[in-house]
Amino acid sequence: MTQPRPAAPATQAPLTRRRLPQGSRWRAALAYAVSVAGGAAVWQALGSHSSSEVFVSLTATLSRLGQMISDGSLPGALGASFSVYAAGVALAIVTGAAGGLLLARRALLRLALEPYLIALYAAPMVALIPFLLALMGFGFWPKVIVVWLFAYFPVQFATQRGAQSIAPELIDVARSFRTRERDIWRHVVIPYTLPYLMTGVRQALARGLVGMIAAEFFLSADGLGSLLITESERFDTAGMLAVTLVITLAGVALMGLGRLAEARFARWRVRP
Amino acid sequence: MSVPAREPATAARPAPRSLRAAGGRPRDPGGGPSRRYGPGTAVTVRVIAAVVILALWQFTASAFAPAYIPRPSRTLAQIPAVLGDQQFLSGTASTLLAVLEGLVIAAVIGTAAGLVMGRLRDVDRLLRLYVNSFYAMPIVALVPLLTVWFGYTPTARLAIIVIEATLPIVFNVAEGVRAASAGDGQGGYEDVARAFRAPWWRVWTGVALPACLPSLLAGLDLAIGRALIGAVVAEFIAGLNGIGYYILFNVRSFHQDDALVAVGVLVAFALLLRALINLAVRRGLPWYQPSVRGEQA
Repeated sequence: MTQPRPAAPATQAPLTRRRLPQGSRWRAALAYAVSVAGGAAVWQALGSHSSSEVFVSLTATLSRLGQMISDGSLPGALGASFSVYAAGVALAIVTGAAGGLLLARRALLRLALEPYLIALYAAPMVALIPFLLALMGFGFWPKVIVVWLFAYFPVQFATQRGAQSIAPELIDVARSFRTRERDIWRHVVIPYTLPYLMTGVRQALARGLVGMIAAEFFLSADGLGSLLITESERFDTAGMLAVTLVITLAGVALMGLGRLAEARFARWRVRP
Repeated sequence: MSVPAREPATAARPAPRSLRAAGGRPRDPGGGPSRRYGPGTAVTVRVIAAVVILALWQFTASAFAPAYIPRPSRTLAQIPAVLGDQQFLSGTASTLLAVLEGLVIAAVIGTAAGLVMGRLRDVDRLLRLYVNSFYAMPIVALVPLLTVWFGYTPTARLAIIVIEATLPIVFNVAEGVRAASAGDGQGGYEDVARAFRAPWWRVWTGVALPACLPSLLAGLDLAIGRALIGAVVAEFIAGLNGIGYYILFNVRSFHQDDALVAVGVLVAFALLLRALINLAVRRGLPWYQPSVRGEQA
């Protein structure tokens, strides 16, 4: 049976990042500046030399973006999308943490369910969207369920892995000091598991975003996904690029948030 | 090659120690299921669990849900009919071939781009912003744009598969190459090659390329799920002949049991591909422990 991808301790990443000397730090900054400016220039040049249904220049995209913000269509869609996203991801974190702890502490449950859970984790959850549509119709909750389906498994597996790897010595010591069960959880199990959970949360943040967009393609009259669909039907490429830009920025911001949370809790990760 | 006869064997074996250090698994003192229960028990318990879940589903569906909601008894009975259905077979073949084709293209592009990014720091600085941004965003959001560019055609589906699959590969390969050539206490095969005056292209093909194999496979492992998601979403939106559209069509025409069989086939395909990758790692790269890098989506 294939293992579920072990939750990645991102603490290892800095291994490759060496401290750079002063000169090459300038060079790095310069390269980033060139990168941003070059990307913008390529976008602009491509956009102004192609027809407006195919590709649109950066300036045209930004002016369309401004227009969409001022007429309220983009803020409305953002609000609708991210309320679904927040609800789905929050639900996934709570249920994933609970499920992971339960599986870690109950060997029989783990034995019985693990292969099915791994199979579900590997399953392309988008394929279930039509079923949810038929069952629950258009609305808030079916979309939340799609986001939850995308975001639940990484949290559950990461939590389970963390809680399963608690060194028995830690619990033995706590017990030999006659620590109550509740305090074992409070002082050993939860602190030990949190860094792992955060790795799962980071993955859930990214996967939830995919779920949100996919759900809105089909289950929605509002939201960023359905905005993209209506724009593509009107060949409004500038609008699509503007929405894509916003989605990308949101994705980058959420990944940054996830990494920050992970790094924050990784500091007290116990190293075996 | 000016390297003595004994060296190539080691040179082709990039920094196993570092990867192992990164992938070191925490102990599992809770005792995996196998330690407390025998293998026979495991099978029994899993079969019982499956039967209980299916029975609960069957009961709930027939007691509370409308008739078109799938239930296990009917779904299982539909399996032979669906697997013999010409429309299902052609759709499935079309999707799965597109996914395989996209994965191959993505592996080539991703390895090339990842190698260059991992070894040439300035290229990395120029491209990293874009690779990271696209890796962080939900690529399915590009499907509407791609349908405008390519029309409602299989090309649009292939394009989304390639984009989805390339990103984790680039990301992982670049990271793997960077780690292998960083050489901070990790062997420094590149230094060895240079000391024997290996030309630059031999360093690339003899040291960097084999060094990135594990990360290529790790990237491919992540790419499979993403590629399938991209393919299914593209078929949903563009109405292309394929397993995704088969699911959508049958759910809409109240044949949800047939659609569920197709979902099962999709899951089986994902599991099979990942098992193959796992096998390739275990057979081809026995020194490599399933790693932890670039674990994003």
